[in-house]
Amino acid sequence: MKKKTQIGLLVLVTALFAAVPLILDSEKSYYVYFLFMAFTFIALSQSWNLVAGYTGQISLGLHAFFGLGAYVIAIGWGQEIIGFFDPLGMILSGLIPAILAVVVGIPLLSKLRGDYFALGTLGLGEILRLVFIQGGALTGGSAGLMLPSSSYTSMLPYYFIALFLAVFATVVTYLMVQSSLGWALKAVRDDETAAAANGINILKYKVLAFAVGAFMAGLCGSLQAYYLFHIHPQNFFGLNWTLYPILMCVLGGVGSITGPVIGAIFLTAIFELSKILLPEIHPIFSGLLIVLTVIFLPDGIVRLGWFEKFFKGRKTESPINLKLFTGKEK
Amino acid sequence: MFYLPPIDILIQILINGILFGAMYGIAAIGLSLIFGTMQIIFIAQGAMIVLAAYGTFWLFHFFSMDPYLSIIVIFPVSVIFGLGLYQVLFRRVARAGKFPSLLIAFGLMVLLENLMSVLFTPNPRSVRASYTAYGISALGLKISFTRLMAFIMAILATTGVSLFLKKTLIGKAVRAASENLESATLVGITPHRVNSVTFGIGIGLAGLAGIATATTYSFDPYFGFVFSLKAMIALALGGMGSVVGALMGGVLLGVLESYGSFFLTGGWADVISYAAFMLVLMFRPEGLFVRSSDSEKP
Repeated sequence: MKKKTQIGLLVLVTALFAAVPLILDSEKSYYVYFLFMAFTFIALSQSWNLVAGYTGQISLGLHAFFGLGAYVIAIGWGQEIIGFFDPLGMILSGLIPAILAVVVGIPLLSKLRGDYFALGTLGLGEILRLVFIQGGALTGGSAGLMLPSSSYTSMLPYYFIALFLAVFATVVTYLMVQSSLGWALKAVRDDETAAAANGINILKYKVLAFAVGAFMAGLCGSLQAYYLFHIHPQNFFGLNWTLYPILMCVLGGVGSITGPVIGAIFLTAIFELSKILLPEIHPIFSGLLIVLTVIFLPDGIVRLGWFEKFFKGRKTESPINLKLFTGKEK
Repeated sequence: MFYLPPIDILIQILINGILFGAMYGIAAIGLSLIFGTMQIIFIAQGAMIVLAAYGTFWLFHFFSMDPYLSIIVIFPVSVIFGLGLYQVLFRRVARAGKFPSLLIAFGLMVLLENLMSVLFTPNPRSVRASYTAYGISALGLKISFTRLMAFIMAILATTGVSLFLKKTLIGKAVRAASENLESATLVGITPHRVNSVTFGIGIGLAGLAGIATATTYSFDPYFGFVFSLKAMIALALGGMGSVVGALMGGVLLGVLESYGSFFLTGGWADVISYAAFMLVLMFRPEGLFVRSSDSEKP
């Protein structure tokens, strides 16, 4: 059964990554940091993938939920409600963005066509950034909040939590897409009118996907907050937290489970390399890459001929029947 | 705490807001045109405006060219740049729906911002001509000359684009295509041609807005993103697909911001304009100045 091989592959890859700290010295190795960032980006990419790739709603507000998740931890810790690596706090940092996604998503997704939603989510990030800058003592204003960095003991918990988040996001996306829910999401993406005519409550599914995506993004934000200890509005509400995951999804393959994983690891490597080799001009690459990728590789790495051939035995049929970006039906 | 200032100050703020908002209006008209035919929000519009502002700055810096005279260089170059941009970047993906185009515009914005930051340094720049600080006093009110010029440019641009859309054949084709692309194609209008024309005019208007920006603001490479957002807000307020509506949306936003930053501190004024934006998107996405009967677009 192909499903079994897929699950086997996931377990194998996870186990391999989990074994990395046994080989490399996690406190000194740059690779451990690299993988930590790559895992965070895998989770963020899956979040965007679920909303845009499977449900067809282009969200440009990932950084809003990411930053909000980080601020939940920062404010909670400052008020001594949430502790260091507090599981309850991390769940809260996912839930609050998810609630915001529902509150904002219902009006934004019910009345608006796709591009208004993109605009609205972009505006949401800006509003949150400004609100947190203006928030006074509670949010630390434009200087942000400093957390007690003496809590840092080892890189290992970060590594494993990031790995857990990446696996969690991938598995949640996989399970959602495989279930009947996934068919509803894809139906909404491919033809809204037809989906509504078949009795699918479009708004419900759009908001659900949006909220689950926000939950994942908030979790990633909380982990970064624990890692950086300095929660700065310009950094945590920076547009890069939206731009990079989109780029990773598109390059890897929108609307597939493996695509965002491949895209995230590949691009994190490129970004880290260009940071070292070309420190001055590396931000240019991210813009250039997104333009070139959309023009020349809109279906992503996972839908390249050689890739599909190579994984033929292990892959089920192409995760989406109707390729999102080629729009061949029209 | 809260007090009502004298009436002449209120009028002064109103005038400042109107003049200020006209610039958002010019940018919003460009967005509106591109939206009409391509169905995408061209997020990189602000980056284009900043690029044109840099053009004005360098022309002034190296050739001492008067910013308003530089229209004769900036505007044609911007139009050609817009035409080229469509042919090189968007033509290939235009048929595949709007999401690739949206992503390309997003990538283009990031690319331009960072490219300008590397080439021109992130230091803020501004054009300081002899008349930059000059103001006209009338009836106890003070009107900044450069802002008045920006306002006049906005009015002229709006009139020009309206006439172009109503009187010329290609303008009529643009209107037909934004109303119904399929029917327009049936009567022999080439979508690619219409798209590239709107891109040309849209970026041309960004060029004008760039000149207006360079003379009134100090700007840096990342200034454009906020400008794009403001233009989108103006567009949302005024209603997509209406040239005059876009200008009015810009003016309304300018007034809103102007009063906002007078009564509150500067940071909160932005929050208010974004909140107005979200509210309009949520509850009246067809815009404030559009009758709901002609808001339904196919």
